[in-house]
Amino acid sequence: MMQAIPLKARDFKSDVKPIWCPGCGHFSVLNAITKAMAALGIDKDDTVLVSGIGCSSRLPAYVDSYGFHGVHGRGLAIAQGLKVARPDLTVLALGGDGDGFSIGGNHFIHACRRNVNMTYIAMDNEVYGMTKGQASPTTPMDWDHSKLTPHGPGVRPFKPAALALASGAPWIGRGYSGNPNQIAKLIAEAVEFPGFSFLHVMSQCITFCPEQTDWKAVVSEMDGPPLADADAAAKQFLHEDGFQTGLLYREERPTWPPVGETAVDETALASLAASFSV
Amino acid sequence: MSEHHLSIAITGAGGAGVISCGELLLQAWAREGGRGLLRKAYGPQIRGGESAALLKLTDSERYTAAGHYDVVVALDWDNFSRFEDEIGLKPESWVLCDEGQELPAAVAAAKPHLVHLPFAELAAACHPQGRINMLALGVLGRLLGLPTASMVELALQKLANKPEAYRDAATACIEHGAAREPACRLPVPALGAAGSWYLSGNQAAGLGALESGIRFVAAYPITPASDVLEWMAGGLEQVGGQLLQAEDELAAINMTIGAAFGGVPAFTATSGPGLALMTESIGLAIASETPVTIFNVMRGGPSTGIPTKSEQSDLNIALYGLHGDAPHLVLAPLDIADCVFTTGWAVQLAQRLQTPAIVLSDQFIGQSTAIVSEPRRCEPFPPEPAVEAEATDAGGGEYLRYRLTDDGVSGVAYPGDRNRRFTADGLEHSEKGTPSARQSDHQAQLAKRQNKLTDFNYGDDWAAVSGEGQVGLVSFGSSSAAVAEAAERLAQQGVSTRVVSLRLLAPLQSAALAAALEGCSLAVVIEQNHSRQLFHYLRGQMDFQQPLHSYAMAGPVPLAPENIAQAVVEVMES
Amino acid sequence: MNKQMALFLAHSAELETEAQERYEELAESMREHRNIPVADFFRRMVDEAGRHLEEVAELAADMTLPDLKAWEFDWPDAEAPETTSYEALHYRMSLRQAMQLALDNERAARAYYSDYADNCEDVETAEVARSFAAEESSHVAELERLMAEQPADHPHLWEEDDDPHMPE
Repeated sequence: MMQAIPLKARDFKSDVKPIWCPGCGHFSVLNAITKAMAALGIDKDDTVLVSGIGCSSRLPAYVDSYGFHGVHGRGLAIAQGLKVARPDLTVLALGGDGDGFSIGGNHFIHACRRNVNMTYIAMDNEVYGMTKGQASPTTPMDWDHSKLTPHGPGVRPFKPAALALASGAPWIGRGYSGNPNQIAKLIAEAVEFPGFSFLHVMSQCITFCPEQTDWKAVVSEMDGPPLADADAAAKQFLHEDGFQTGLLYREERPTWPPVGETAVDETALASLAASFSV
Repeated sequence: MSEHHLSIAITGAGGAGVISCGELLLQAWAREGGRGLLRKAYGPQIRGGESAALLKLTDSERYTAAGHYDVVVALDWDNFSRFEDEIGLKPESWVLCDEGQELPAAVAAAKPHLVHLPFAELAAACHPQGRINMLALGVLGRLLGLPTASMVELALQKLANKPEAYRDAATACIEHGAAREPACRLPVPALGAAGSWYLSGNQAAGLGALESGIRFVAAYPITPASDVLEWMAGGLEQVGGQLLQAEDELAAINMTIGAAFGGVPAFTATSGPGLALMTESIGLAIASETPVTIFNVMRGGPSTGIPTKSEQSDLNIALYGLHGDAPHLVLAPLDIADCVFTTGWAVQLAQRLQTPAIVLSDQFIGQSTAIVSEPRRCEPFPPEPAVEAEATDAGGGEYLRYRLTDDGVSGVAYPGDRNRRFTADGLEHSEKGTPSARQSDHQAQLAKRQNKLTDFNYGDDWAAVSGEGQVGLVSFGSSSAAVAEAAERLAQQGVSTRVVSLRLLAPLQSAALAAALEGCSLAVVIEQNHSRQLFHYLRGQMDFQQPLHSYAMAGPVPLAPENIAQAVVEVMES
Repeated sequence: MNKQMALFLAHSAELETEAQERYEELAESMREHRNIPVADFFRRMVDEAGRHLEEVAELAADMTLPDLKAWEFDWPDAEAPETTSYEALHYRMSLRQAMQLALDNERAARAYYSDYADNCEDVETAEVARSFAAEESSHVAELERLMAEQPADHPHLWEEDDDPHMPE
């Protein structure tokens, strides 16, 4: 028998070419996903990438695995249904800040709370790119580049890490599109983590937010091990500038559904039917 | 051959337990081989409000709501007005109630026979914790000739977890009630064959779904569909499946899509407001060709409407609620027992045709319990066709998830299958699944998704057809029982009808429907909604060889066979 | 076996692989956005990196290189020195700007190899590193020559008249 040659990152790319603008941070996440898959030695046939709608949600088609490009905001719901039904698969959900924190906000909260063993990568560029650059839930208050909110959204951006923590996410990491190798490392750790792992990636939008090229100067890496204390993490996530990268928080807690002996009784269906018999 | 039935209403409030009384009575009746239906009516309170157990004991299994009641046991007249529309009385009716209370005006006006029974006093005399509902059970059981031991046994089973004194009290009250001289003597319907089942439409639907292979359910609670989901939670645990309680209906439908994409047959149940929330993603299931079954238990609408009452007013949203050209399956079970078959059929059709199926049940059949002969099942379909051989080899032909085939159905692959990787997409796509806005891809995929439904051979189960008369009576789903009863009334008046009860609404089997009505000089479309949804749908879908008329009556009161019959006569005379 | 050499060659191989694959992606992306001159230029850079990768592979032919994960390499910056940042691109960039990116890459690679040689204790490895630095120097010179032939950039090069599109 021929010995299997380990796959390289590039082997995990599909032949569909990204439509993303040159300069988009999402290329970096795609690169990181393929690197993480190669490093983990994941089988392409046993991996599913699920997304909603938006620039970042186009990603599943660019990876040579199974994929599902769903509707706006609901990628997390599809992914959880899939993982609960097929726990043997590696499931990653992906999407943008509008998809995950606005229209899909409820699913985000409950996915954090439910703790299904899967990974969610939110590619945050603080803008709706597919609809011509409107403000999203993470856009700065005074960002006045959109015709829809010509004076800026005027609403405080919310903090995904703080929300994830408050909702019960046991694994919270942050990456930056300027550093795909770090994102790859975080994805590999996230996938191996037994539970719901939330990776927030600051991913620049060159087209609608060219000012985000300045992020490079302000990102930092968290020193030391991730926080394990929710109180300390809450303090940090509420007060930080949002540019600290790395694995920020990690605690292990029971996943859903609980692993139980599901001894399937062949006669169960017949007994169910018989229970109606007078 | 006219049906004989005996209708009994038990009303009460403040936790009197009238529903339990009704259930136990029907169960004891079932044990004797009887047939019957139990509907439940509630006030808006969660606890302590007025409720009514509405029984109709019959010698057939054609279950319609009783037009009037032969016996009313009023443990309490508080807020009886809430049920006035549903509990009609005639001078021949018997009313059993405590002496002290004043009769509601509507009851007094009907001038029924009155029998005064001091329920509370008698119950207290039987046992310090005596309960009036158990006393009523004994009294009614005697009326029907039911064995006292059987009622006691059933009651003790039901109260298995209650304190011993409480159980003793129940026994004492049932025995005392049954020992009393009957308050009235009424003819009892003939008993049916043994081996019957006792279940609600919602339970029947759950069973049909599990038997046809459903192993994943995503659930968001909503009246009157929650009990399908609750029953399935227990059922899935036994057969080995998962139920996921979702955060909302948007999540529920998408979770089922995710599970189905993974190859696990998936199901959700909801009612109108939930169905409205799900529609965007039902479109996703159509475009991505993912099979899911959405079981919609209709209630009065629009908006929150009348959550506890039945109506057939979600037909439009089920047929037309989706954006774009979105062909899918819409089915409706005809009665409680048929919920097993139709739900099972819907599940298997969805799987075979790789598309969502919306099943339109309603509160009337969903939450009513009936005694039925063992329900008919949907035979398992032959296994799904395999993916084309050339597509499965790594280096050979490319696997095309949305391959254009003769019957429009493409070979399906699931994650984990070797070398058939693809990305399912709600964006219009090529055969491979790559997003495409090309005219040729859009035309081809639209046609494929339509043709796989329209070209499929659905056999004879698209409708139940009976009678050979010249007046066609067309209805769908749960109206069929009322229409069948109306047909019987018409027959007694010399009007011979042909009854077509549609089970498969989309794709409409137009040719079969036209053939079924061949020779009819007119047809009346009968439905329980205000805007004549079925009537307009049928007229939009096909040309009829005969004039088509409409009888549409919205809920919350169930369709009355006598009103249907009268409407048909009026149409004929017009 | 020379461990230092193996480690160094692993880094060189990764550096050139990353450079090559990135140029390939950039070329594809530029082609997708109809900036053909830049796409063609990046395509040429793919071949350049490929040639250097072959040299590294030849040197490593009899060695077992350490199997490092993408994030286990020791680079002066976030990514390997000759790797163009995804974020440095613009779909309307000029050939000159693309060349400038490539030039920066080659200079970074040269600096990496030359620093490696300066700080490497193993003489044999230092020698190879120095030869790689020299090679990068020749690429630098070639790119500088090419750039000199390029016209100066239009000051408002990235502007366009149409609004962005709305694909979804």
